[in-house]
Amino acid sequence: MKDLLTIKDLSYKKNQKLILRDVNLSLKPGKIVALLGENGAGKTTLMRIIAGVAKNYKGSVTLKDTNDVAKRKSFLSFTDGLTGFSESTKIGDVVNFYVNIFNDFDENEFDELRKFMKLDPDMKLSQLSRGIREKLIIALNFARQADLYLLDEPFAGIDPMARKRIINSIILWKSEQSTILISDHFVDQIAALLDEVVVIKNNTVFAHKTADKIREEHKSIEEYYEGLYEGEDE
Amino acid sequence: MEFKDNIPIYLQIEQYLYRQIAMGKLKAGEKIPSVRKLAVELTVNVNTVQRALQQMNDQGILYTKRGEGNFVTEDTDLLKQTKQSLIDGQLEQFVQNMMRLGLKKEELVPALSKYLEGNKNERPTNN
Repeated sequence: MKDLLTIKDLSYKKNQKLILRDVNLSLKPGKIVALLGENGAGKTTLMRIIAGVAKNYKGSVTLKDTNDVAKRKSFLSFTDGLTGFSESTKIGDVVNFYVNIFNDFDENEFDELRKFMKLDPDMKLSQLSRGIREKLIIALNFARQADLYLLDEPFAGIDPMARKRIINSIILWKSEQSTILISDHFVDQIAALLDEVVVIKNNTVFAHKTADKIREEHKSIEEYYEGLYEGEDE
Repeated sequence: MEFKDNIPIYLQIEQYLYRQIAMGKLKAGEKIPSVRKLAVELTVNVNTVQRALQQMNDQGILYTKRGEGNFVTEDTDLLKQTKQSLIDGQLEQFVQNMMRLGLKKEELVPALSKYLEGNKNERPTNN
């Protein structure tokens, strides 16, 4: 099968500090992939580069055969924590913004997701708990008909019920051809969901393996991930 | 359903469905739930369910009707064989565990008979 995303020899510095170097990564369509790594390893930076938000990197990022950043952005969905909105914005107004900006944003689909997530459109962003905010972000993402969804730590600091909802929404709403990249710094909560695991370590893609391969070697994904850090000081 | 994380999930889904069939919860010729429904029910990836169903199709225990989904085979011999291999698997585990505890082969049947007798006496209503 043809690659959906191909990253070649990518390096990125910020304020002369090396964040990523020699990153090579290919993802196929239709997969659920975990992007793992410690805090500060560069997971968010890599997502921001793929999303076309972080610029001035070296190397190439190709999505659906194009290197063009504007085209790439139209093929993918990445929500940067809703940081662009003032905290007094109502959910309904965030949705209107999305309708205007993204041609592939489907309002009916969002409505289904909103009901599934039990979100009240009249609530303001300032009123949302961590879990509800994450549910909103996921609903906004999946209401778009994208080829690649970039979910940046959707499970950080949320309660188990919200997590269960989000996981079920992924199973229900992910289309057959779309790929989801989910970053997290621990893996056990989403392990059963994964097709592949990508680990960022030492400023690069240190490992990329399918979940089935890892388990065929009688390891859990968690053991595999922890094994990559063995013999290192905490 | 809880999955072990150190065994491929598709194999565990296969085992789960084999058990459903052996226990008669899924009957010969019956349609099994859709891929997405199974994925939500088991909280796993759609691709993983598909891989499990594909394998079971290859083994002949399921068959696909185009546009209609997956059905349990009506081949009763194959269903019997399948059930037998599940039973054999359980017995093998039992035997291995007993031998690890130091029982010899010839001690297994008496030990099991004694256990079953004892159980009968303790809970006569529970056959």
